[in-house]
Amino acid sequence: MEINWGLIWPILALQAILAVTGLVSLFKAEPANIRGPRWMWVLIILLGNILGSIAYFAAGRRET
Amino acid sequence: MKPFWIYYQKEMLEASRTYKWIWVPAVFLLLGIMQPVSTYYLPEILTMSGEVPPEAAALFTIPSADSVMASTLSQFSTIGLLVLVLAGMNTVAGERATGTAELVLTRTVSTLPMMGAKWAAMMTLMLVSFALGLAGAAYYTHQLIGPLEWGAVASGGLLYAVWLAWIVTLVLPLGAVLRGPAAAFISLGTAAALSLLSGLLPSRFQWSPGRLSSMAAEWMLGAGAGAWAPVIAALLIMLLSIIAAAGLLRRSPLSPQS
Amino acid sequence: MTEKLLSIHELTKSIGSITPVKGISFDLKRGGCTALLGPNGAGKTTTLRMLAGLIPPTRGEIKHGSADKQTNDWRHRIGYLPQYPKFYSWMSGKEYLSFSAKLSGLSGQKALQRSQEVIEMVGLQQASKRRISGYSGGMKQRLGIAQALVHEPELIMLDEPVSALDPIGRREVMDLLNRLRGEVTILFSTHVLHDAEEICDDMVLMVDGEIAEKGALSELRSKYRQPVLSIEVEPGERELAWLHGLSKRSFVQEAEVGKHRAKLTVTDMGAARAALIKELADNGIELLRFEAGTSSLEDMFMKVVGP
Repeated sequence: MEINWGLIWPILALQAILAVTGLVSLFKAEPANIRGPRWMWVLIILLGNILGSIAYFAAGRRET
Repeated sequence: MKPFWIYYQKEMLEASRTYKWIWVPAVFLLLGIMQPVSTYYLPEILTMSGEVPPEAAALFTIPSADSVMASTLSQFSTIGLLVLVLAGMNTVAGERATGTAELVLTRTVSTLPMMGAKWAAMMTLMLVSFALGLAGAAYYTHQLIGPLEWGAVASGGLLYAVWLAWIVTLVLPLGAVLRGPAAAFISLGTAAALSLLSGLLPSRFQWSPGRLSSMAAEWMLGAGAGAWAPVIAALLIMLLSIIAAAGLLRRSPLSPQS
Repeated sequence: MTEKLLSIHELTKSIGSITPVKGISFDLKRGGCTALLGPNGAGKTTTLRMLAGLIPPTRGEIKHGSADKQTNDWRHRIGYLPQYPKFYSWMSGKEYLSFSAKLSGLSGQKALQRSQEVIEMVGLQQASKRRISGYSGGMKQRLGIAQALVHEPELIMLDEPVSALDPIGRREVMDLLNRLRGEVTILFSTHVLHDAEEICDDMVLMVDGEIAEKGALSELRSKYRQPVLSIEVEPGERELAWLHGLSKRSFVQEAEVGKHRAKLTVTDMGAARAALIKELADNGIELLRFEAGTSSLEDMFMKVVGP
């Protein structure tokens, strides 16, 4: 069975969109509005796949 | 009607400024696409992992197209629902906790348009994300696994949207009393408890909106039973939730500490 | 110009077993500036929140203007600034103002135009397109005043508008309020008498949920301007005994006696001065200081507010 990359790349693209959006939001936020250190969230977003980005969007930022 | 639109615009702007309009649809689309793709490549993955002999992997039969769609729904029930509730948990609780409600509520008499707009904005995000996810799942299933009955997918999807809607709506009244994370936890807990109960005692819980997720899966498999009672129950819960949330917010627009 | 814009009668708020506001009554004149003065915990914030319609009073009534007391459109005719205003930090200053104006019934175009006007009025032109999350404390307070003004209200109510600001921010806000005087009726709460005297004509002094004193500042000033004699003596037994005897003199209205000084509020300065100087000489009191003057509003305020 041949792997059809035309089917796979949208998955990779969506994961990239999630991670990039998370990182953009992380670096635009004031340090005071981030829960915990920034580098920790960078690692979580980059290594945690979908769940890492979800975790950041759900819990990473403080309401001001 | 006018205050409703002002709030609705504000909620939609807030959701896009806080990136909700990117990450929530992206998560749903990912969940929708990954289910058919991973099902399709499962024999390959099993072979490559080396834990299953190739002969056994070859025996693995790819499930039918409509059952792949039904199992996509169960993906939406876990991560998808979690994402929606997390994205919505601070719409009311956040305004109370940060104190932004104080200035807004001096300008309006009724909190109903505000609450209605918050609900409508949550529903917009939910429907768009879920429709994207379902469409992605259907397209991939159709391409990889086999033809689908589009009518069954659409009607099952519609029923499933009602299930998502009533659980997400619960965070409005809960957020008017509790903090965001607590509201999220309780609404997810309520959903889990109701679907567990209606699974254990199906005859007693004919009306329970907790049945909607499993009914939607059945509809997708083409075996649909009538769903009026749970749908009406879900709609009633939503209506009552919005009214209760509006009343509770008017009574205590500020979190206790201020 | 003595039309009543707001009158409250026997306004009371109970929360559980405590009653932060205990039946207060006062009126606001159109175009006037009234300070709601009092120490922390006097019930000022609770009073303003009731007037802004945020919390319902337990008893008493609030009448807005003379007409339409039943309709709710009075909300569009008041502007309110809470003590710690909180904005949607993801909006820009201008977006927030236009959102607020629309909520108060202005059309989209009018809302934009008024937002621009108040932005210029409070001097936030440069920051108007930036997100509020990047504003300083003083900028947020000015934005708060701008949102209270954006819908052209008749009455603005400000809760401690300068308390949380540094001296520069405080000066900016006080100057702004001074410019607004006359254009709009102002009610603002403060715990600093000096702030009240700087911009207001009238004051309502609240202590422990009740009104301790109210009226025009000029009247109150003359009411509390009383002759005061300050006397300071060398430490000594004879001197101490003499000081303690002072409060029994017929011309002494009130006496504050310390270890070697006394402060006497007297009815007739001439008679008191003559009598006391004679006594000092006759008894051979070793005098350090003898000063005739008048008391001020500040003395009254400190006495009412103090422990």
